Amino acid sequence: MPKRTIRRVFLATAVFAVAIIALPVGAKETVKIAFIGSLTGGNSANGIGGRNSTDLAVKLRNSNPKARYQYELVVLDDECKPDTGVQVATKAAADKSIVAGVTHYCSVVAIATVDTFHKFGLPTIVWGAVLPDITYGHNYPEIHRVNGTMINQNDTAANFMFGQGYRKWAVIHDTTDYGKGHNKYFSEDVKKHGGQISATFGVTADQQDFTAELTQIKPLRPQALYFGGLTPIGVRIRSQMDKLGIDAAFQGTSGILSDDFIKGLGPLAEGALAFREGAPLEKLPGGKFFAEKYAEQKYTGSPEAYGPFAFAAAELLMDTIEKVGPDRRKIIAELAKVKDRDSIVGKITFDDHGQNTVAAITKYVVQDGKWVVWEDSEYASGKRKLRGK
Amino acid sequence: MPAAISRGRVSASAVAAVFAAGAALFLAVESQRGMLALLLAAGALVVAIRRLKGLRPFLQAASEHEETGALAGVAFTLLLCVLFRDDHFTVFLIGRVLLATLACLGLHLQFGSAGVANFAGAAFFGVGGYTAAILSAHSPIPHIVAVALGGAVSSLIGSLLLLPLLRTRGHYAALITIAFGLLFRTFAEVNDSLGGPQGLKLQGFQLFGWQFNEELAIGPFHGSFYINYVIAAVALLAIAFALVRGLDRSWLGLALDAVRLDETAAAAFGLEIARWKIVAFTLGNFLIGTAGALSAFMVGFIAPNNFTFAESLTFVSIVLLGGIGNAWGVALAAFIVVVLPEKLQILQEYRFLLFAALVIVVLRYRPQGLVPRPLRRYFRGLA
Amino acid sequence: MSIGLLAQYVINGMMLGMMYALVAVGFTLFFGVLDVIKFSHGDLVTGGAFAGLAIYSFLEHIDGGGTWWITLVVAIAAASSMAVLGAVIGRFLVLPLRSAPSLNTLLITLMAGTVVRESIRLFYPGGSQPHRFPGLLGARAFQIGSLTLRLDNIVLLATGGLLIVGMHLIITRTRLGLAIRAVAQDEETARTSGINFERMVLLTFALGSVLAGIAGVMNGLYYNEINFGMGLLLGVIGFSSAIIGGLGNMYGAILGGFLFAALQTIGAVALPFASAYKDVFAFAAVIVFMAWRPTGLIGERVSERV
Repeated sequence: MPKRTIRRVFLATAVFAVAIIALPVGAKETVKIAFIGSLTGGNSANGIGGRNSTDLAVKLRNSNPKARYQYELVVLDDECKPDTGVQVATKAAADKSIVAGVTHYCSVVAIATVDTFHKFGLPTIVWGAVLPDITYGHNYPEIHRVNGTMINQNDTAANFMFGQGYRKWAVIHDTTDYGKGHNKYFSEDVKKHGGQISATFGVTADQQDFTAELTQIKPLRPQALYFGGLTPIGVRIRSQMDKLGIDAAFQGTSGILSDDFIKGLGPLAEGALAFREGAPLEKLPGGKFFAEKYAEQKYTGSPEAYGPFAFAAAELLMDTIEKVGPDRRKIIAELAKVKDRDSIVGKITFDDHGQNTVAAITKYVVQDGKWVVWEDSEYASGKRKLRGK
Repeated sequence: MPAAISRGRVSASAVAAVFAAGAALFLAVESQRGMLALLLAAGALVVAIRRLKGLRPFLQAASEHEETGALAGVAFTLLLCVLFRDDHFTVFLIGRVLLATLACLGLHLQFGSAGVANFAGAAFFGVGGYTAAILSAHSPIPHIVAVALGGAVSSLIGSLLLLPLLRTRGHYAALITIAFGLLFRTFAEVNDSLGGPQGLKLQGFQLFGWQFNEELAIGPFHGSFYINYVIAAVALLAIAFALVRGLDRSWLGLALDAVRLDETAAAAFGLEIARWKIVAFTLGNFLIGTAGALSAFMVGFIAPNNFTFAESLTFVSIVLLGGIGNAWGVALAAFIVVVLPEKLQILQEYRFLLFAALVIVVLRYRPQGLVPRPLRRYFRGLA
Repeated sequence: MSIGLLAQYVINGMMLGMMYALVAVGFTLFFGVLDVIKFSHGDLVTGGAFAGLAIYSFLEHIDGGGTWWITLVVAIAAASSMAVLGAVIGRFLVLPLRSAPSLNTLLITLMAGTVVRESIRLFYPGGSQPHRFPGLLGARAFQIGSLTLRLDNIVLLATGGLLIVGMHLIITRTRLGLAIRAVAQDEETARTSGINFERMVLLTFALGSVLAGIAGVMNGLYYNEINFGMGLLLGVIGFSSAIIGGLGNMYGAILGGFLFAALQTIGAVALPFASAYKDVFAFAAVIVFMAWRPTGLIGERVSERV
């Protein structure tokens, strides 16, 4: 054989040997938990905020000498798409070394993955998705949620808007279960108060052009436009509203409560309304602590609206693992017993469907390029007026 | 003569074994550094094999004994399942590779054999999946029939495109399939009867009481429930492979080749171009739809975002990388395209970019693909 | 339906038609000169939009004399950067594959488009999210009855029209245009007449890509938003429009662009409660059309060598 070939074969063998040596040896003390959120795409701000918050919780726990285990966070991106979500959920749940998951901001994805987690028996706590069916649509013991559902959100929103004098709406919602859910609950609430919804339109979650819908809404002269959907199309609808000269208040849900909404609209965002379960960060029991520790880590981006919930979920999971060990079945059994557990977002109690009840709903309004709690805003004090009245 | 034949069979089995071993290594390695080392080793191995002239007669003999190679391949795939029986995700990956190969075999039939450009591969995959989802949820039709119907509905819908496809050629035909792909995805997303953007869920596949979603237990052997799907996929793939290779080597394949290479000349020879294009397109869609149906059962979920243009382009990349016209190349390319991004996490985010770039390089410098189309051999044993 | 509503739809349709026409003319230019479909064209629209945004972000810190010259700089930046990119794609990917089956060229340009799109998504900061495009043309609007006519819409329409007229003049009145047409008709004769074939091809590519870049900026100014995927759909629509009008024919391309926009608008009006169906309707119409008239309305200028 020519020398060149011999050298090559030798090289190949050597590389093979290196490959074998590079195979990892498992360490027993490390416990893996998964984080799944929308890290890319239009809702990435919220996903990254959740990831940073979960990462913070893990880091704090790992720096605690009294912890029984070393925790490793496996981060997965669901891209806010249900099919990608099911794929990464399968990946996490099928991996025996992952014992629990902090899952999902996007309701679209969360509702799709509940079956996957149940199939593999992975205990999960949802940190940001608000669709009620995620916990109430089934009887799976694996699924829990620390944040509230959209039912209370829309109740409070309707009460508030009526209090402000709004009686006539037009509704645009996205056609995912998330948007449809919002539409359903809000419409019911409006009817209960005796208000009027002049038109309802369903749009796709990535629609670009809303001229058709808005052109039909304009002559109806609604006082407010209720938007059931997420930030990307919220930005488009609001800016196209302006192009067509529609003078109505823009009322959204927790889906638009992100910095990207304001970044995308600039001055047009002024006066937009949104609602969210849970008290504002400063008023949370662990709010200051969380804000300080978060700032220390110098993450790019804020924790956004649901970061504290992700933190609380991670903490709860790690507490449970400390108590019963890294065993999925034991974790599920233990999570079922969670009652009045302290956390940075207040006391957590899981009902028979794994849902935590979050009583407080906070109202937000955009003022000078920032989401401000309603009560602290100049709109509440009367110095500024909302549109459409 | 006898010595040559047995040498051929052994060579074929050996080639299959080498690939299986390689696949096992790629699937087993978890760490990033290990993966990179493995890739380097694979590259070095390929270079070494091309230089070692002594191996040529063995490879030649191996390619003449495809059936042995195929049988060996099936055996080794099942062996891989046994090896990884406790690792759900790895078996899941094997299943995905097999079903991607099946779908791309259909595409290969359309592209490589009849030269019909199909840029809506993912859409036909989706049609099969949705058919299976709706039939299994709303009717008592047995699942195996639902899978076959998935293929049939795919062919049916594909035949709707046949009229415009036959009247056009080249880039016009490409546009039709691209437009259809976009149309299907938008329709699936907007229309609630297909579940809308939320998609549809599927229960586990059932075959005469054999529940595919339950753990496989044969005596002392326990394995991930995904193994059930792999077995079904292997069975389907074996049938499809035999079909496609048989077609390739028969006079039908000859006709398709002629149509692809020069339509005018083929017509001059009396070949009905339209008929063979129809056959290739319809059969190809049947394979794609069947793969889509079984895949939907395996994943348990189907949504419009599974079938974007980017996914169709991924299928096309597999066919191009593997070499238009070589069925084995499709399998190899499918493995690379499906497994590598899962294993090399850096690749995951960049995978569309990398595959597009790879295809550009291939088209520019090696249009025949990784495993080029062998010259048609009319008589076995000669040349 | 009131006149105002109808007028609003018409204005919107014309805006869309203008943008589609710009993209379609690019496709037709490439096809005319080299018999190739350069599928990366749509993604060059995205490239132009992002290039414009990048320049704007850079200039934002420098206080300009007024927004009009910033707009000009943005447009020029987008146009020139895309011209270069278009020529590069032509030089390294399309020209070398001249003798290969046309499917290969289609594929390689499709992949090139994907590379551009993914590069933007991955390497532009925050590329996977939609970005706000500054409203450089101001927000003045006129109210005529129930119709809101915006100044920026008028400017965009006028600019698009001027560009197309300008392109037409270049093709028909200048020596460059003459060379392009010569090359499109017959490569060999053009060569023997002393025209540098390769250079002409690259120039044509650059010219077509200029249109793409500006279409991108226009898109950004119209929607006030750009995202990395915007070019894909535009590319397919532009291609469809070019085909409807007949490949190789500039007037056909323009006609095709407006026709497609009309199809979409009709779809939106006819199905008011699900405007998303308008795309389904439009694409289905294209497929049916292709079955009826495979070579387009005005017919492809085909010179097949037997």
